[in-house]
Amino acid sequence: MAVVVSERRERFLSSPIRHLDPLLFGSAALLAALGTLMIYASTRHRLELQHIDPLYFVKRQVIAIVVGVVVMVGLMLIDYRRLRELSLIGYGATVFMLLVVLKFGVSVKGAQARFDIGAFQVQPGEFAKIFLTLVLAAYCTIHREEMGARRLMIALAICALPMGLIMLQPDLGTDLVLMAMAFTILLMAGTKARHLVVLLLLAMTLAVVAIDAGVLDQYQIDRLTSFDNSGADTQGAGYNQDQAVTAVGTGGLTGQGLFGGSQTIGAHVPEQHTDFIFTVVGEELGFVGGAFVLGLFAVIVWRTSRAARLAQDPFGMLCCMGVLAMFVAQVFENVGMATGIMPVTGIPLPFMSYGGSSVIVSFACIGLVGNVRMRRFS
Amino acid sequence: MSETRIRSSIVGVVVLALFSALFARLWYLQVAATDQFQAAAVSNSVREIVEPPLRGRILDAQGRVLVDNQVENQITVSRTLTPKQLHQVIVRLSPLLGTPIAKLNANLSDPRNSPFTAFRVADGVDESALVYIAEHRSDFPGVRAEAAPVRRYVNGSVAFHELGYLGEINSTELKAQVDPNQYRLGDEIGKSGVELTYESDLRGRPGVTKIEVDSSGRVIRRTATKPAQPGHDVRLTLDLDVQKTAESALQQGIDSARTVQDIAYKKQGFRKLNAPAGAVVVLDVATGSVVALASNPTFDANQFVHGIPLATWNWLGAKENNLPLVDRAVSGAYAPGSTFKLVTAEAGLNAGLITPTKTVNDPGQYSYPTDPKHPFLGEGANGHVALARALTVSSDAYFYSIGGDLFFRYHHQQPFGDELQKVAREFGFGAQTGIALPTESVGRVPDAAWKQKIHAANPVAFPYPDWLPGDNIQSAVGQGDVLVTPIQMASAYATLANGGTRFQPRIADEVLDASGKKLRDIAPITMGTVVIQARDTILAGLRGVVTDPKGTAAAAFAGLPAGLAAGKTGTAQAAPKQNTSWFVGLTPADNPKYVVLAMVEEGGYGAQTAAPIARAVIEQLNQLPVGPVVNVSPPRGN
Repeated sequence: MAVVVSERRERFLSSPIRHLDPLLFGSAALLAALGTLMIYASTRHRLELQHIDPLYFVKRQVIAIVVGVVVMVGLMLIDYRRLRELSLIGYGATVFMLLVVLKFGVSVKGAQARFDIGAFQVQPGEFAKIFLTLVLAAYCTIHREEMGARRLMIALAICALPMGLIMLQPDLGTDLVLMAMAFTILLMAGTKARHLVVLLLLAMTLAVVAIDAGVLDQYQIDRLTSFDNSGADTQGAGYNQDQAVTAVGTGGLTGQGLFGGSQTIGAHVPEQHTDFIFTVVGEELGFVGGAFVLGLFAVIVWRTSRAARLAQDPFGMLCCMGVLAMFVAQVFENVGMATGIMPVTGIPLPFMSYGGSSVIVSFACIGLVGNVRMRRFS
Repeated sequence: MSETRIRSSIVGVVVLALFSALFARLWYLQVAATDQFQAAAVSNSVREIVEPPLRGRILDAQGRVLVDNQVENQITVSRTLTPKQLHQVIVRLSPLLGTPIAKLNANLSDPRNSPFTAFRVADGVDESALVYIAEHRSDFPGVRAEAAPVRRYVNGSVAFHELGYLGEINSTELKAQVDPNQYRLGDEIGKSGVELTYESDLRGRPGVTKIEVDSSGRVIRRTATKPAQPGHDVRLTLDLDVQKTAESALQQGIDSARTVQDIAYKKQGFRKLNAPAGAVVVLDVATGSVVALASNPTFDANQFVHGIPLATWNWLGAKENNLPLVDRAVSGAYAPGSTFKLVTAEAGLNAGLITPTKTVNDPGQYSYPTDPKHPFLGEGANGHVALARALTVSSDAYFYSIGGDLFFRYHHQQPFGDELQKVAREFGFGAQTGIALPTESVGRVPDAAWKQKIHAANPVAFPYPDWLPGDNIQSAVGQGDVLVTPIQMASAYATLANGGTRFQPRIADEVLDASGKKLRDIAPITMGTVVIQARDTILAGLRGVVTDPKGTAAAAFAGLPAGLAAGKTGTAQAAPKQNTSWFVGLTPADNPKYVVLAMVEEGGYGAQTAAPIARAVIEQLNQLPVGPVVNVSPPRGN
């Protein structure tokens, strides 16, 4: 009897559902909700002026969040160790989609990064984030204690394929996020320190060469360099960032009040509901709101690192660390560009920016982390 | 495991550093430096629309409108359009306005367009065209069709010099403004006359509407609207009827003078009077109020509305057109001739050189005792004359002798040596009267100090540093180096007439708001008092000028009812020019209420050209039929 009880108790304790992380999900949900409100604040006015339903973007975002949650739950239902096997298929599919998007995609603002499927757009680059994480984590898990130069080259090749395709779109921001993720996984997978140093130096050299050799378009260089001399050019490349920084700075400690930001109402910040969503938070909710958002992301990062530490196997740990790196890179780059300390490279703020692919992938990442955590005893 | 822990610590440190950087940046932007961004956000979205105020009107003494504003439909095109857009707009406007494209393009490039305001392409546009443009805004980008007030000078050129005109504010005027919101580039400001001197009353305050716009320039909300405050009306002391008569009399007098011979021309042959210009001043002696102020030639201020064409401006500045913009009444300085004898009489009385009854023999000339070989000539012998008679017949010898005797006192450092100059200054000569009009001349009262000064400045042109007998003797009859303005002379006779109070000539008496409510009085200002001796004797002498058969202006005033007029003629040598013709009239003759001064440059004798002009104005002031102004030729006496 006692054995039965203890067994039951043990099974109950080790039951995955018992080890969900409410803080993780709660933070993500709060960010998504806040993001939707901010999208409403930044778009309702101009939609009204155009006699379009002021909830147009809100409704689409809610649909994306619902899909994201479904995907998240779906991902958690499958044991993440099975994902390891499935990841190669996802990787292949992503690379294929990236090829297709280059050929048939819709070009928006200079980048060919998405297709239209009905009324919705799909951005394969976003999906590359999660699948590359899985594939890289899987590869590194297999060769965990033997990441010599040759293995490293293979790992880099795995990364280079989708990143190269994304570079061709071109979507610099996504590549930067992928680089951060890949580097972190390689770091955590035991790659030799000297190799990592060489890798860092290589990345820097590549960046310099890319700018010098004209691989990057002028507008990309302008974006990257405009943040350090903003003010010099208030109508061109620096305009976005000037307006964004002004909006954030206007917020003050407690903000102009919800729906009260003049920069937001006046639509002075381009792309405000997508890449510059943080400026709405900054202007209307002030430092308090901005710190709250950063705090929620910090909670997610904290819970993700905890999941990585508790992970039952290296694969789970590497997945979590990859996701962690992606979130940190995206938040730092996105909030950094909204506050003028990072160059403008069009990447969304996870959970908050308007855009289905980003929201769905962000929730999928949470699903992956939750998956690793909840199965740490099984 | 410890290896993994080290590595995850590295990741942790990096993550912590990045988040710290974001928090720090956010704190800096939103707490430490938020003020500068709030200012930037305001300038980002708030636009100020300034609505110019409706300018106040200028009224005459009876409240008749002299200057007001009329509404004019005009079409302007923004300067921000590209040349291509501009062309499209012009092509569309042309059939709508029924104006050829070439004409509209010419209007666009009209140099009178202010660079700070939109291009004015058409004036006086039909209401229907305005409506059409308003309804088809998208076809006419940058086009504004609006009813705008423009200045209107109701009586054309009448009182041009006193009323003045408007022009675009220049950078000097803009810098001089204390209140930066009162004017902006492109605004109009008074450039002359009352429009200039009463600018602060007439201007009003511009209205400011702050509108918040979004990044595409659409209006989000209007905030803090400050309505424009219309300018105040200024009521002048000027009487439109008297002014009109003064101007037409002056014009007729000048026209008439140009037909007659210059009898002072003693050289070979015959020449006519040039009479290029003149002035009339009418003062109310009790207050110093200006009832009329005319200067000829004159100009229609309506031509300044919308900016004056360059050719017209150049024409106005050319000497051969006699400079119509110059106000002879206050800016012109002339030798006063015999009209100055009033001053000499008072100086002589003060010094005890003459009495009202003491007679002086006038043999037609006068010599200073020490220099009998160089006599000063008069117009003819008048025998023994006392003060009144001396004025009536304008005896030069009588007044020469006062000048000579005063010089004797000066030369021997006796009292009253500078009495002539002292009295002249008491009457206001040699200084601005303070009339509220720009560019007033000071004239000149020459004395020993002045002579020293000009000699020191230019010893070649002025070889004598000392004040000589001739200087004082010539000054005594308003010749030599004495220079006066018509307004100074009129003011001096007004001082005589009212018994010795010298007023600042006053051109406006009230400021009213747009509803006609009085806001403030402009009270007469007393500049000083003059002790007038023998006023009755002098007035009797001046009555004789127009009534006595031997009075210098008797011919010009023949037929005027008795007791209406008195006055003094003046014929001032102005070589190489022809003589300046002066007449200072008083009406009525006993206890005069008005001074009527007429002056015509190169008009010959005072009695021939100026006196008939003054007579017409006196007729007007006394509600008599105003006769035609005809030159009295040949005249008699000076």
